[in-house]
Amino acid sequence: MTLPRAASGGAHPLLPVSALVGGALALVAGAAWLLAEPQAISGFVGSPGSVALTHLFTLLFVTLIYLGTLQQLPAVLLVTDLEWRASGWVTVPLFVSGAVLLVWGFASGFRPIALAAGGGAVVVALGIAAAQVLATARKSPPKDPASRGLVTAVCYMFLAVTLGLLLAGARSSPLVATAVGYPATLHQTTGIIGAFMLGIVASGHKLLSMFALSKGGPLWRVRAAIALTHGVVALSALAAVAPLAGWPPTLSRIASDAAILLVSFVAAMQFIEVGALLRRRLRRRLEAPVERYVLAHAFLPLAGVMFAVGSQTAAAVALLLGFVGLAVSGMLVKILSFLTWTSAFGAARDAAAPPPLLKDLSRAWLEPVITAGLTLGALAATLAILTGSLLAARLAASALLVGSSAQLLQVLTVVMRTLGRQWRPASTAVTTK
Amino acid sequence: MTTNTVLTEVGAAVPARNVLEALKAVIDPELGIDVVNLGLVYEVRVTGGSAHVELTLTTPGCPLHASIEAQVVACLEAVPGVDDGSVDLVWDPPWTPMSMTDEAKRQLGFF
Repeated sequence: MTLPRAASGGAHPLLPVSALVGGALALVAGAAWLLAEPQAISGFVGSPGSVALTHLFTLLFVTLIYLGTLQQLPAVLLVTDLEWRASGWVTVPLFVSGAVLLVWGFASGFRPIALAAGGGAVVVALGIAAAQVLATARKSPPKDPASRGLVTAVCYMFLAVTLGLLLAGARSSPLVATAVGYPATLHQTTGIIGAFMLGIVASGHKLLSMFALSKGGPLWRVRAAIALTHGVVALSALAAVAPLAGWPPTLSRIASDAAILLVSFVAAMQFIEVGALLRRRLRRRLEAPVERYVLAHAFLPLAGVMFAVGSQTAAAVALLLGFVGLAVSGMLVKILSFLTWTSAFGAARDAAAPPPLLKDLSRAWLEPVITAGLTLGALAATLAILTGSLLAARLAASALLVGSSAQLLQVLTVVMRTLGRQWRPASTAVTTK
Repeated sequence: MTTNTVLTEVGAAVPARNVLEALKAVIDPELGIDVVNLGLVYEVRVTGGSAHVELTLTTPGCPLHASIEAQVVACLEAVPGVDDGSVDLVWDPPWTPMSMTDEAKRQLGFF
């Protein structure tokens, strides 16, 4: 087996690769857990199991994959070397151990010590990661709105977990509660909209353009999405602070409603932007993981419908499992293929033995299984939240388990075929005589 | 359709067209199409035993650039008569789909 070299600009590839594999593994664990405890989404959503599963998904799947990607992507987007390349050896293990402790703390009945220690570790890890991205951006300032959006999303990720720690503190100490209130909505909004949605808007703009060969076009929608996201977080903060400051309750309600309105604008902007990128694409046939990323956007209007029928929780599940989950899953396979391929074959100079194609690193038959499993799982989970149906919850868990297991197998296949250099070209490269 | 690559020879030890043919062995690993049919090779200049290539990529900042450049150099130096191969990555003019051959366009679903 040939170990990969350190890719230029970013951290050693072992770091992002292990984070990406860890994220895929966490989703399988979460789906298996949900199958064992389906009432976590068909029953009371504030139960320990439900909160634990939510944090397993947001931290150990989505954020861990983001954190892994951050070990390489900023260096590519900002065209410079990543600052403090070795810091990932601290942040990734610290984040994983903190997130595992946090999930266990929630699952075992909101244990204050576990929540404080786990939350503290997660905050420190993401604080270092955010500082690293900011230091890299300071050295080579982002030249386009998509890169700026990615840097902003990382800062919101840090803010979201900090607010989560404050929320946990407020729930265990009246003193903290008096000082900061219960910023649950602000914590959720900053995480889902500020970190995840903005991260997908920004990195997706760059990556979808690259994978679909989408050329040119205006960037105002990306700029607007960033500005609107700032507005969403600012209004949510105002809604959270107003009761503490003794301002009229109407002000808090207006700020909260205005934030929701802006969220719908951000979602609409992203929906239209992806459509515009696809219309401008030069590559007519998209690869399956890219199709999954595009499909994720169908959950944006679904979340809007859930919100309109009065189920904020169902809307949040459609956004998280459907939009964020499918988008991250699609990009996971593509980013991992690029990352491992570049590490293993980036400096290949053997004209007689050309490296494999990226698509030859994965198993094509797994892709529809991943897409169908995760899509059906997200739809059924939204239905389970909306109707309280245990059957829908079981269906969601089963579908998610199938989809996430196929995804884990795909991820392991890509890693093993690259590291072991055991690819079997499934397709012939196109050339002419 | 053929490519629009500029072929220049100055006391060339090997025809520039042969060098261009050899570059068809360099495949874009993401698209699965060779760099010549993609229209990424802007110029092949052969001076004596030295072959120089001006190359672009479909996307600026493509993370695969180092590999493609290395493959091009390896291909150049594998051509009999070429002692020294070099490559310049250029972004002006930017790549457009019009640079592709019909075969490459068909592969990407244009037709």
